[in-house]
Amino acid sequence: MTVRTLVTQLLNTALLLLLSSPIQAQTAREIIDRVDRLLRGESSRGQITMEITTEHWSRSLDMEIWSLGVEHSLVRVQSPAREEGTATLKAGQEVWNYLPRVDRTIKVPPSLMMGSWMGSHFTNDDLVKESRIVDDYDFEISFEGEREGVEVWEFQLTPRPEAPVVWGRIEEQVRKADLMPTWIRYYDEDGDLVRTLTFSGYKTMGGRLVPASMLVTPADKPEEQTVLTYHELDFDISVDESFFSLRNLRARR
Amino acid sequence: MAHDRLWWRVAWRNLWRNRLRTLITASGLAFGYLGAVLMVGVSDGMLVELIENGTRLMLGEVQVHSEDYLPERNMHRTIGGYEGTDLEIFLNQINSQEDVTAAAPRAYGGGLLSSGEETQAALLMGIDPDREPHVTTLLSRVVHGRPLVTGANEILLGSEMVEQLGTALGDEIVVVAPSSDGSMGNDLFTLVGTFDTGIPAIDQNYGLLALSDLQFLMAMDPARIHEVAITVGNAQDSPRIAETLREFLSDTELPVQVSSWTDLRPELAEMVSLMNAFHFIVVIIIFGMAAFGVANTMLIGTFERRREFAVVRALGTAPIGIGQTVVYEGIVLGMISLVAGSLITWPILVWLHNSPIDLTQVSSGFSVGGAQWRPVLRVEYSIESPIVAGLGLFLTSILAAVYPAWKATRVLPADALADR
Repeated sequence: MTVRTLVTQLLNTALLLLLSSPIQAQTAREIIDRVDRLLRGESSRGQITMEITTEHWSRSLDMEIWSLGVEHSLVRVQSPAREEGTATLKAGQEVWNYLPRVDRTIKVPPSLMMGSWMGSHFTNDDLVKESRIVDDYDFEISFEGEREGVEVWEFQLTPRPEAPVVWGRIEEQVRKADLMPTWIRYYDEDGDLVRTLTFSGYKTMGGRLVPASMLVTPADKPEEQTVLTYHELDFDISVDESFFSLRNLRARR
Repeated sequence: MAHDRLWWRVAWRNLWRNRLRTLITASGLAFGYLGAVLMVGVSDGMLVELIENGTRLMLGEVQVHSEDYLPERNMHRTIGGYEGTDLEIFLNQINSQEDVTAAAPRAYGGGLLSSGEETQAALLMGIDPDREPHVTTLLSRVVHGRPLVTGANEILLGSEMVEQLGTALGDEIVVVAPSSDGSMGNDLFTLVGTFDTGIPAIDQNYGLLALSDLQFLMAMDPARIHEVAITVGNAQDSPRIAETLREFLSDTELPVQVSSWTDLRPELAEMVSLMNAFHFIVVIIIFGMAAFGVANTMLIGTFERRREFAVVRALGTAPIGIGQTVVYEGIVLGMISLVAGSLITWPILVWLHNSPIDLTQVSSGFSVGGAQWRPVLRVEYSIESPIVAGLGLFLTSILAAVYPAWKATRVLPADALADR
């Protein structure tokens, strides 16, 4: 080994340290928060397909989705025809459903927040909880390094003692290079895996790199799944809070 | 044998030598018998009422499900699988069984009820308004409005649910339920009646719909049901009847599970076995007390007759003969007491059975395992308890005579005659 190569190596190492330090300085909390806001931006509009497969049936729903910050979102079913117009509004901690067949809006009672949303493997609580993830959990890096040839962080999220959350623990893997999440695993209070959220189809939509596809698999029923795919996604659209009103929830398009 | 008859006669005569003492002892035993039979009768009455209230209200005494339905109660696990089964044929098969009094089909769903203002999660139960009253008293608990009519999108709610929803008779209720095809079934139903069962879990959570209306709401074929509730002649006999029905239905090749109320409400069945064990203890305590009384009198009786026994011994009677006569005295006393006991017990039993003691003033009752008990001391007839109590009485009088008899055999003629 020559002196020159040694110097180069040292320099490289120093350079690497210098370059990586800003990212190192990022707390786990900031990274998670950033990942959490990925698909939303300040406001967004998207076109999604949700394919649900269960032991007993499978179905596919096309939906349009709007969001404003973390507090508001509105989802409206476009097909199949039988369910066209069915809509869900999230405003703060409340979830409302609109049922076109009976032309009524119904607030989802607290007891059903853990119930399935639109028959999928997402819960009503999933629509609400994201706004609180950074407030309700403590974060730590449980792994940092290479997994299957990709540099990643793995985070462990433990609920704060007083936090009103349903999970006992959450684990999340994020790619270092582009801050893209690869999977999130949800555990119950006994430490058993309940479900896994897997991300894929990373592409640029609305000017941002996002995972266009999300797959939920419940741990107790490995043959069941829900796949959510974004076909269109625009950020920073012009909507305000009045858009996320019960009146607009009822409005047929 | 002739010898034997002689000893019986001696025993009989001896008993009547001190008439008052014998009568007092015999009435002690007779009242013990009355007490035992009555105690058992009252607690049997409580049990029968608990079982009836536990089964008649909603459960039925026997239930049939698809074999994989319990305990998850997954809505897809209908009897006969996805295709279901021809209801008429299936119910007729069940009804053809000798012990089956009536059978009613049901379907269940979980869902949301909304009055507009308020929304509550509810357990939806689809019933056949014509068949259900033959199996359970559920529809008779409708306190306001009227029962259901099939095909008119009508709903019955518990009194507490009505309060929580802030709704009233005639109002429209939005019912939302996950359907068998994965979609969200939703429709408007009219509240036509409210029921009050006294059991909070039912009054707070249940919504009753006509079976076919619920099937339509949940996109289920009319051939698909979750449950058949069955009522049988004798509730205590349900496990055996369930077994017979299980064997019978195994011929139809539908993978079904037949459960009796003892499987479905184990805590109630547990209560019944506990009470039965308790009966046994009551009988033992009552006759245990009686035994000492009888033994005491008989012991005094034998001491009084020491000289007599000594004379009989001196005349050449074997000690065993003397012991025999004392035991025979006990047996005869037992028989007299049993006759007297039965004579006083039966009229009182008949009277209490027909006009039970009402304790509503002092107690408001309680509920066990979803079964309510009214504070009315209803007395049940039973064949078993008079026999058990009779046997107890008999054994008591014999056992109580054994020690005095043994003492009698130990009398030494010379000593006794010499007053030593």
